[in-house]
Amino acid sequence: MRIAVSVFVVAYLPSIAFGVDYERDIKPLFRQRCAPCHGAVKQEGDLRLDAGALIPKELHAELLQRIASEDESTRMPPEGAALSEQQIALVKAWIDAGAPFPAYEVVPRSPAEHWAFQPIERPAVPKSPHEHPIDAFLFRDGAIPTPASSQALLRRVYLDLVGLPPSLDEQDRFAKHADWQRVVDELLARPEYGERWARHWLDVVRYADTNGYERDAEKPFVWRYRDYVIESLNDDKPYDRFVLEQIAGDELPDATVETRIATGFLRLGHWDDEPADPPTDRYDQLDDIVNTIGGAFLGLTIGCARCHDHKFEPLSTADYYSLVAVFNPLERPRNGRTEEPLTIGATEVYAWREPSAKAPPTHILLRGSATRPGDVVEPAVPVVLVDSQPSFPVPDDKTTRRRLGLALWIADEENPLTARVIVNRVWQQHFGEGLVRTANDFGLMGSPPAHPELLDWLAHWFMHDADWSLKKLHRLILTSDAWRARKTADSTIRYRRLEVEAIRDSMLAVSGTLNSKRFGPAFRPAIPLAAVEANTDKASVWKPSEEPEASRRSVYAFIKRGLVIPMFETLDLADTVSSCPQRQVTTVAPQALTLFNGEFTQKQARALAERLLNEAGDDANLQIELVYRLALCREPTEPERMQVRAFLTDESLEELCRVVLNLNEFVYPE
Amino acid sequence: MNRFIANQTPCGLTRREYLWQVGGGFAGLALADLLQAETSSTSPLAAKQGHFPAKAKHCVFLFMNGGPSQVDTFDPKPLLTKHDGQPYTGDAKVGSNGRPIGRLMASPFEFTKHGESGLEISSLYPQLALHADELCVIRSMHADTAAHASGCLQMNTGSIFIGRPSLGSWLSYGLGTSNQNLPGFVVMTDPRGGPIGSASNWSAGYMPAAYQGTLFRGTGSPLLDLATPEGTTDKTQRRSLDLLKSLNEEHLRQRPEESELAARIESYELAFRMQTEATEVVDLSRETASTLEMYGINNPQTADFGRKCLITCRLIERGVRFIQLYSGGGHIEDTWDGHTDCITNHKTHAGETDQPIAALIADLKQRGLWQETLLVWGGEFGRTPTSEGIGKPGRDHDWHGFTMWLAGAGVKGGQAIGATDDLGFAAVENRCHVSDLHATILHLMGLDYTRLTFPHLGLDQRLTGVEERHLVAEALR
Repeated sequence: MRIAVSVFVVAYLPSIAFGVDYERDIKPLFRQRCAPCHGAVKQEGDLRLDAGALIPKELHAELLQRIASEDESTRMPPEGAALSEQQIALVKAWIDAGAPFPAYEVVPRSPAEHWAFQPIERPAVPKSPHEHPIDAFLFRDGAIPTPASSQALLRRVYLDLVGLPPSLDEQDRFAKHADWQRVVDELLARPEYGERWARHWLDVVRYADTNGYERDAEKPFVWRYRDYVIESLNDDKPYDRFVLEQIAGDELPDATVETRIATGFLRLGHWDDEPADPPTDRYDQLDDIVNTIGGAFLGLTIGCARCHDHKFEPLSTADYYSLVAVFNPLERPRNGRTEEPLTIGATEVYAWREPSAKAPPTHILLRGSATRPGDVVEPAVPVVLVDSQPSFPVPDDKTTRRRLGLALWIADEENPLTARVIVNRVWQQHFGEGLVRTANDFGLMGSPPAHPELLDWLAHWFMHDADWSLKKLHRLILTSDAWRARKTADSTIRYRRLEVEAIRDSMLAVSGTLNSKRFGPAFRPAIPLAAVEANTDKASVWKPSEEPEASRRSVYAFIKRGLVIPMFETLDLADTVSSCPQRQVTTVAPQALTLFNGEFTQKQARALAERLLNEAGDDANLQIELVYRLALCREPTEPERMQVRAFLTDESLEELCRVVLNLNEFVYPE
Repeated sequence: MNRFIANQTPCGLTRREYLWQVGGGFAGLALADLLQAETSSTSPLAAKQGHFPAKAKHCVFLFMNGGPSQVDTFDPKPLLTKHDGQPYTGDAKVGSNGRPIGRLMASPFEFTKHGESGLEISSLYPQLALHADELCVIRSMHADTAAHASGCLQMNTGSIFIGRPSLGSWLSYGLGTSNQNLPGFVVMTDPRGGPIGSASNWSAGYMPAAYQGTLFRGTGSPLLDLATPEGTTDKTQRRSLDLLKSLNEEHLRQRPEESELAARIESYELAFRMQTEATEVVDLSRETASTLEMYGINNPQTADFGRKCLITCRLIERGVRFIQLYSGGGHIEDTWDGHTDCITNHKTHAGETDQPIAALIADLKQRGLWQETLLVWGGEFGRTPTSEGIGKPGRDHDWHGFTMWLAGAGVKGGQAIGATDDLGFAAVENRCHVSDLHATILHLMGLDYTRLTFPHLGLDQRLTGVEERHLVAEALR
């Protein structure tokens, strides 16, 4: 419904002569050009223009006069271009018509009251026939979702937790004795769990093996950070500790080589070793860190406050530069253009260093310009999130311990965002969609939670009952009826294409050629020659690994920012430059070309066909049965069996395998 | 729950961000509140309407990789000739990376007036000069960086940083493509190698990968994994695809509401059609001898770029939206980066491209495509009017002033816009930033640079950044 006002305006603006529409013409204009200073976040002159009800009638005349003013000192808005004649005419037309606005219009509340900034309290679990708290929150009316078949569930939970399909033995065992709790526990205890879930975290922290730009050099020993993430997950390191180590692993009282490797998190960003403007470049690198900290741990788009106060979130440039001050003491170890690792004991560690316990002064940069330093700021956390600033520890004899101060605040149970953000990430990965759909943005502009009470209950439970244990959280979610439901248009759990890593790893597992070697330097899978030809240094840019190294799990594949493995790129690998809250899922023809014609699939199809021959012999029925069980964890239906048999009378087993590895069901688990 | 509604500020965010974050993917939701009705297809590349009627339906970016010299091509400087050999005493920042600064160096290439317009073009471009009345030369370009990596990135993505979507990605995102059997955004690199930064230059950055540039080879199998695997007959390929389709359709029948599954079935059919159509595009056997001759395909010097230009013409015929051709690849003298001997360098690279580009213009006209195709020519920056070191005919990077040209749909040809200073160092008149050029290209393609936005990191990002840009109004017809 729209309130349209018919007004006749002078003929020189025919395009608005048919009426002005508050929702279409006025509200967006005011939100865009006025609300940054006169909105819910800031109310300069005690004036708000972000909702019709807030615009006092007695100011109408002045409002018109100010927006039309040709005097720069009084014209509104003071920044950017003046409103166009047409925009001014629209405002005038609207005011002349009595400044109508819809009665149902909601007035944005004060940002301090924003749901995600409130302390996390534990709502009571709704009374429900469901025993499981998640189900009790989701199905308040007691409805019971239709469960998925046990075969489908088994494949689902394997792909979800370890990124690989269950073997024949595992399928048989579960068929005989369907102990769900035990399957979940066993999978969580497997090292492949860390390999699967580490990649989700690597998406969030913009992980790549090179720095980008002309030389796109390998980040020395950066893979130790990747291994650290895998091991931390496998050890079920409490998430609060995981946070502390990545931000301030070198400043912890019990710092070890491992916790220093963890701080590689801060150094994962891209950087140009031949920057266009070195002073600005320094702030660009700090910006990368602050942005990633904001998005990854707090779900805040803090980077928007670099040049001006955030226009739509209660975050000021002072908040932003106070966070910059936390990281400003860091220095990139390098020799000219070449990055160097730190050496801790006998271990090379890819991390920054704080050369001194005395921090350099950090200024607010006016308009974000490195050449316009303003006031000096001290380390602090965003004001809107705290009643009083946490006390930052004093420097010790080695470092400023500013990062430790920030990390302790982020990892604190009182922090309103940390637990909500991580619980939502885990939920998103299991269900295909987060309770908050904007996983990196819990601010005013983010999406509101679909089930706010459930989110808060989970966040509180995660901190207080599960002691920040991610494995306990997985267990809780995977034992809910909601997660075990059959996927439908209305189910909480959604169809979602597997990530490219899980597709590739599943193919390797099914064909029997997966090399399960763990950890260490990355391998380089073979890539089509044509992809290399477009490189500046085409002869040397990519030396593919030999077998069996080339058949390792995808989490160990080399991610080169200037030359992303084409199969990975086509199948929607995470952005390698900034924090990726969730993979895109696109469906385009080049993916079909890669998966149907590409050399990798051909190779797996050949290996799978050999496996079928070895394990099922010459009997086509047995071969068909086996390939269905290996790839899809189920028996073929009768119509399927008939079609496939007919196919095999003319075509090879290898050809059948190529088809099976391309099935929708193979990449969209039930 | 309170929500801000759509806005179009650079630092704003719209409810589209929700849509983008929805687990089910983004198909068909992008731009929904900005652009008009899309087709019902779920393909992210489905053709879409722009913000206003477009002058150009296709854009060809002739990227002169390495940085061509303005004073040797389209920006004549009599005073430079006059002061040849003298030290430079002005205050323009000269050169890059601490390379030695030499003396003022006149262009050895003669400039003459061409066409009815009398546009001045150097002797490096005898063939292109025949189309002088079509060219709109912008002599006042300037960029923000002296390095190739960040320079190429800026020219391609509007930003000196990696990770941003390229111009072609923005066009694909904003307009989709009319022929689903071919990629909408095609890149053809030089046989000597790619530009510095390689794929970052045609990356979709934070946008979905569907919008990235697709590398296209001028011979054989043009796309990655396009060819049917060796040893597989066409008949087998079709039978396998039929089985796949049949099994997938049975699977879909039990889940009819899952549009992604249906889209994936369709993507295999599309891929099959792409096999045929893309292979056909690079098969020049049905082109006439005189066409091949016109493009210089029989001459070793012009054969490669000529072939690419002809393929470009054929891609445009088939509805491809954006095509980028690289002249020069690898390093230094293999590109336009004439540090050592700019004279020989430019003779080589201009010699390879002059005839093919002229042929492309003539051929587009002949095939009735000129009125809907925009041509953009230039590199990541220009070159210094001084030599690099003394007694050596090299030229260093000059990002303060350089030349590019536009031609074709919507462009007022036969003119030079803006000016560098008397010696050709820096843009001084009617200055045109790289992002101004981008805004102008978007405009010609029917897109408003302020409204073509994509949500990322809490911002509604634009190709042209947060600052206000200016269309090159004089260039528009």
